[in-house]
Amino acid sequence: MSYRVPIGPYHPALEEPYKLDLVCEGETVRDADLHIGFNFRGIEYLAERRNYAQLIALMERVCGICSNVHTLSICQAIERLAGIVPPERALYIRVVMAELERLHSHILWAGIAGKVMGFKTMFMTSFELRENIMDALEAISGNRVNYAMNRVGGVNRDIEDPAALLHMIDGIELALNRSIIPIFTKNHTALSRCVGVGVLTNEQAHSLAVVGPTARASGISQDIRRAAPYAAYDRMSFDVPVETSGDVRARLVVRALEILESCKILRQALSTMPAADWWGSKKKLKVPAGTVVSRIEGPRGEVLYSVTADGASDTPKRVRVRTPTYANMPAIRTMLRGARLADAPLIQASIDPCYSCTDR
Amino acid sequence: MNELEQIASSLGLPETWEERNGSWWMAPASLDVRVMAAVLRSHEARFVTLTAMQLLPDERIRIDYHWDLDGRLLTFTTFAVENRVPSIVDLCEAADWVERETHENFSVEFTGRPYEPLLLRTGDASGLQLRKERS
Repeated sequence: MSYRVPIGPYHPALEEPYKLDLVCEGETVRDADLHIGFNFRGIEYLAERRNYAQLIALMERVCGICSNVHTLSICQAIERLAGIVPPERALYIRVVMAELERLHSHILWAGIAGKVMGFKTMFMTSFELRENIMDALEAISGNRVNYAMNRVGGVNRDIEDPAALLHMIDGIELALNRSIIPIFTKNHTALSRCVGVGVLTNEQAHSLAVVGPTARASGISQDIRRAAPYAAYDRMSFDVPVETSGDVRARLVVRALEILESCKILRQALSTMPAADWWGSKKKLKVPAGTVVSRIEGPRGEVLYSVTADGASDTPKRVRVRTPTYANMPAIRTMLRGARLADAPLIQASIDPCYSCTDR
Repeated sequence: MNELEQIASSLGLPETWEERNGSWWMAPASLDVRVMAAVLRSHEARFVTLTAMQLLPDERIRIDYHWDLDGRLLTFTTFAVENRVPSIVDLCEAADWVERETHENFSVEFTGRPYEPLLLRTGDASGLQLRKERS
């Protein structure tokens, strides 16, 4: 006999509101229904009523973790439509901000995963480490969440002393190699909760078109930074970690290795940043008619913005936002089928979901 | 013949690809979206999303289908006919949520599939968000 277990929309196992309806037989999950929309703010509707400067501030609020991803995407889209090329230093600063954001997002997720596993030491260790990155972001931008760094044609602030950040990156890498990576790859408690749990096969990942670390943990090697480089990523040398087992452990390992790759990118960007203008064009923005698509690799995967302008007004006619969690969330249903009920919170957390992004 | 030309040929489209702002665009006079989905899936293209838009009140709904082919973003532009477009969800399960969301935002009917609310709640009216004549 089957029974239903509702989790959410407001539940200690969920970081933000959404709802899972689990159909169980005994302790085994047979199926799951996902219900989203609890954070729906009508941002695409609002975007058609904001001018291009206001639009950046609006899009920064799509997500409370990867806010920089959204301003970068929208600025890149407008720049492409208007034919604006930002100065080199601005492109490097964008890479630094994007990688610092990826670092704090991945380390945040490592802490959440530790908490969901009941591994509180891991939670505390991760959040302590993450504070260093938040401090760096605050030192650069003056803010911890909405950095307001990107503007159309450049960035709003310079990184005056790039070398000062290198010491922080060394510390993060050391802490990762000393504690977080060994815990996630060798510790018996962590492995017993992750290995063979919530499997998404390569075939399923292709069929569901998942993106980012969720896809790379199932053997799909795509990373937009490499496949369709933007900002200054074509000048950076880095590896794209890929695992093939498709379980929670694989998703965990991919993110842990991506943190090390982010450190590698940050070192390159900070040490080779050209000394030049970072503000960009001071001319009045004129956006011609047309549609443009912009993609970037956020911490959770590919973000796509489609912007359509009519060339006459100072507001866009249409802004479409496709966030990575929107692409990845339907896969939770597949991952949960056949899983133990007790693993459901960890499995759903393993895609590093951002529900506010998803609902917009 | 390169892969993009092969795709256009398989779809029987006389139009050529236009590379614009880092992605490839195709706006065929007539496009069977189900054949498009089948052909692109056979080329192992990844469905990224679709973008619906209505630029003026009472204008037909335009739908851009975005696909990723080894890092290249391909976009097919088509229009809803009498507010209807065939669903591709049985050919491409990744299109499920976005078809439901587009139905809610624009009242577009994706034919041949069941609906349940995605961002809205049961009983909420569709098409109020992004249709120009209603919003």
